[in-house]
Amino acid sequence: MNDSQMNSLVAAILEGDCAESVLRAGQLRAGGVSAQSIVMHGIEPAMSALDGKCTLEEFNLLEIMLAGRAVTEVMKLLYPSGSATTITKATVVIASLEGDVHDLGKNILKMVLTGSRYRVVDCGKDCPLPKLMEAVEKEQPFAIGISGLITHIIPLVKQVKELLRIRGLERVKVLAGGAALKQSSPEKLNVDFVAESAFDCLHYLEALAGDGQ
Amino acid sequence: MNSLQRIAAAIRFQETDRVPVIAQVFGHAARIGGVPLADYVRDGETLARCQLKALRHYRYDAVFSVMDANVETEAAGSVLRYPRDQYPVIERYALPEGTHWDGLAVPDPLCAGRMPEMLKALTILRRELGDEVAVIGCILGPFTLATQLLGMERTLYLALDDPPRLAQLMDFATEVVIRFGLAQLQAGAHLSMVFDPSASPAVIPPSFFREFELPRLQRVFRALSEAGTAANWLHIAGPAAPILPYYAKAGVQIANFDYVVSVDEAATQLPGTCCDGNIKPLLFAEGSPADVEREAIHLLRAFRNRRGFILSSGCEIPPEAKPENVAALATAPSGKGQ
Repeated sequence: MNDSQMNSLVAAILEGDCAESVLRAGQLRAGGVSAQSIVMHGIEPAMSALDGKCTLEEFNLLEIMLAGRAVTEVMKLLYPSGSATTITKATVVIASLEGDVHDLGKNILKMVLTGSRYRVVDCGKDCPLPKLMEAVEKEQPFAIGISGLITHIIPLVKQVKELLRIRGLERVKVLAGGAALKQSSPEKLNVDFVAESAFDCLHYLEALAGDGQ
Repeated sequence: MNSLQRIAAAIRFQETDRVPVIAQVFGHAARIGGVPLADYVRDGETLARCQLKALRHYRYDAVFSVMDANVETEAAGSVLRYPRDQYPVIERYALPEGTHWDGLAVPDPLCAGRMPEMLKALTILRRELGDEVAVIGCILGPFTLATQLLGMERTLYLALDDPPRLAQLMDFATEVVIRFGLAQLQAGAHLSMVFDPSASPAVIPPSFFREFELPRLQRVFRALSEAGTAANWLHIAGPAAPILPYYAKAGVQIANFDYVVSVDEAATQLPGTCCDGNIKPLLFAEGSPADVEREAIHLLRAFRNRRGFILSSGCEIPPEAKPENVAALATAPSGKGQ
């Protein structure tokens, strides 16, 4: 593997330079580097660097969106069929619940998790609870991520664990985040974790994976 | 001292009979008035009636003619959907993919979209309240309006891909909000709050705010000042601490600060600017009156010696807030804790 080229890919993603990121990824592929290696040694380190900035409170939507766009385009290049064959760590189902048409936060979570080798099943925005449960029963995920910008959806969030219990899916972790939900607590929302940011979600999942759960 | 005098004194860091309270009650007033939010945000008379009812119920120091964040973009051509008990959402942006925005016409507040209804509410509120209670309108910040015209993702991509085009769009947005703000003052508002959530450092870096948004906010506040506004109020939620030092330069006289900004940060970074904040909005829905009172007393004590403070929430009080919690905010400055 060409370390210099891989570092250039990481730098281009962090700069939010979409064209340069795709160019660098293409060069790596042409040089015989596998798609999986590019994800592990190019995209994941870029995600980690963004995560570091987030921790330092220098994080803002503009930078993460631009990096996210670059990651998305690189993934399209690496997996033109849309199905990443890279070994994934776990499956996570994500949604913005019915009544909430804001999906920016959810899309960022998708990008962060995908870039960290999670398989993400996106139920979209304005998602009714039955549709979410259908996806959970089908995909058997490790966790559900719910993003919420408006307080209106809180009564729906509170129902998710009970709906899982009825279906014998109590093992599925429920994570909540977004401007409205992050003001609350796991106890009040009846979820397992309330995340401050998409990376906070990632840390929680990684810690659970580390515990072998 | 009436409410308007109390707020004016707080802005000048003068002594007041008690700390003024501006509860950011917008859609919550529809609940108090017993009407669906979809009606509240579309009818000026309904909005004014609900605001007056909420004022009589809570007895705080200001009323608002605020519908939602989509009034300007709808007037400029966006298509909205109105769920019965929620704020409207944008179904189609005014500037969908592939459209050009050269030569866009600035909407006329007297006839475009819901702008006339918002003006009607201001006229009714001012007629009913005179100069006793502050009557407050609302316009978006230029960057926030740009995101409402184009969509957040496309606006942010444009910031990197074609900054001059974004600047052009923001100039248009600036003209829209200035015209609407002036119409609000003419209709009876004592002042118009500039609501600019997309300019938060959670969304754009402080350097972007300085280069793109600050000069346009200066234009907006200069225009409002020249038209005789009682004060210039900037409302940027989220972790705004890094941009607070620019507020004085923008011409801000009331600075909203959210719950994620500490009292120390706000007071230090805004030495000559009246601060309003910063109780966590969700506390009004999830907490108890005792919780709200505890937070309020903490703030009142923290700002006691400094003055220049208006007790408020960090952002909008959610529509589904418990009325007893809003009442606890309104009465806190007169309570025993003081």
